[in-house]
Amino acid sequence: MASREELSDFLASVERRAFKQAQFAVRDADAALDIVQDAMMKLAENYGDRPSAELPPLFTRILQNVIHDFFRRQKVRSTWITLFSALTGKDEEDDSDPLETLEAASGSEGAESAADKVERSQVVAIIEEEVARLPARQREAFLMRYWEDMDVAETAAVMGCSEGSVKTHCSRATHALARALRARGITL
Amino acid sequence: MNENEFGYRVRQALNEATERLDYTTTYRLEKARSAALARQRAPGPATIRLPARQTAGVPSFETRSGNSWLRGLGLVTPLVALIVGFIGIYQWQEERRISELADLDFAVLLDEVPIGAYADKGFSVLLQGETDEL
Repeated sequence: MASREELSDFLASVERRAFKQAQFAVRDADAALDIVQDAMMKLAENYGDRPSAELPPLFTRILQNVIHDFFRRQKVRSTWITLFSALTGKDEEDDSDPLETLEAASGSEGAESAADKVERSQVVAIIEEEVARLPARQREAFLMRYWEDMDVAETAAVMGCSEGSVKTHCSRATHALARALRARGITL
Repeated sequence: MNENEFGYRVRQALNEATERLDYTTTYRLEKARSAALARQRAPGPATIRLPARQTAGVPSFETRSGNSWLRGLGLVTPLVALIVGFIGIYQWQEERRISELADLDFAVLLDEVPIGAYADKGFSVLLQGETDEL
């Protein structure tokens, strides 16, 4: 059974990776932080009494579910927004400030890193960008296998697919990532 | 470079990226962690379920062996009471039957019974009535 300290240590060890994974998926730092907080709370509330060894796969699964829930909610929201904007006409659209979009884009991590003068930082930022650009399933499989250190069976269990699919996703992700990085002049 | 090696190098880069998170993000992650820990499901005794008959009158710190002993006693006691009851009823019926036979023998020996009565089906009833009068 995980004590409070053990759970705290576990969360501290995974929170940054979880944030990055969520950010790769949703491409928004605030939303990613909300997702990580939601996943942490669900783990503590529902599985806080589980042994420490069971926490990593549980947390990974919860995190993936929360990310998927985010996309589901976003889809519903965008449907309603499309519906309302169709009903209200084009006058509403004029209220939005195009500069806000530009500011958000320039404030993103990728842009900040591009402005960074340290070469390594630039490389890391580019790798992050390319990882974020991978198709969702490929990225999930790749990150779970190579970042979370999960084996094929564990990854398949969390993703709800066969082990063969995990291998295929990983292989495609690796080749796509290597190709994209090479195109940007980076060879690992 | 094979797939594993490539994955390992990407992993290194991603780990490096997590180390460079800005203060606001790390602070918010820390707050999120504290909030989650405050909601941690309470571990331990709250999740143990005991049947009511075990806890009634028994201290909650009773050991498992003590509980099993009490459970055994609770099962054996009514069984013993039932067996004793059956033996008691059997004994009482035996004594009653012997007493009835003794009364009959007594009446026959005193010659208070007409000869025809021996063939009568209600003979025993008559004997009973006469015995009560005595």
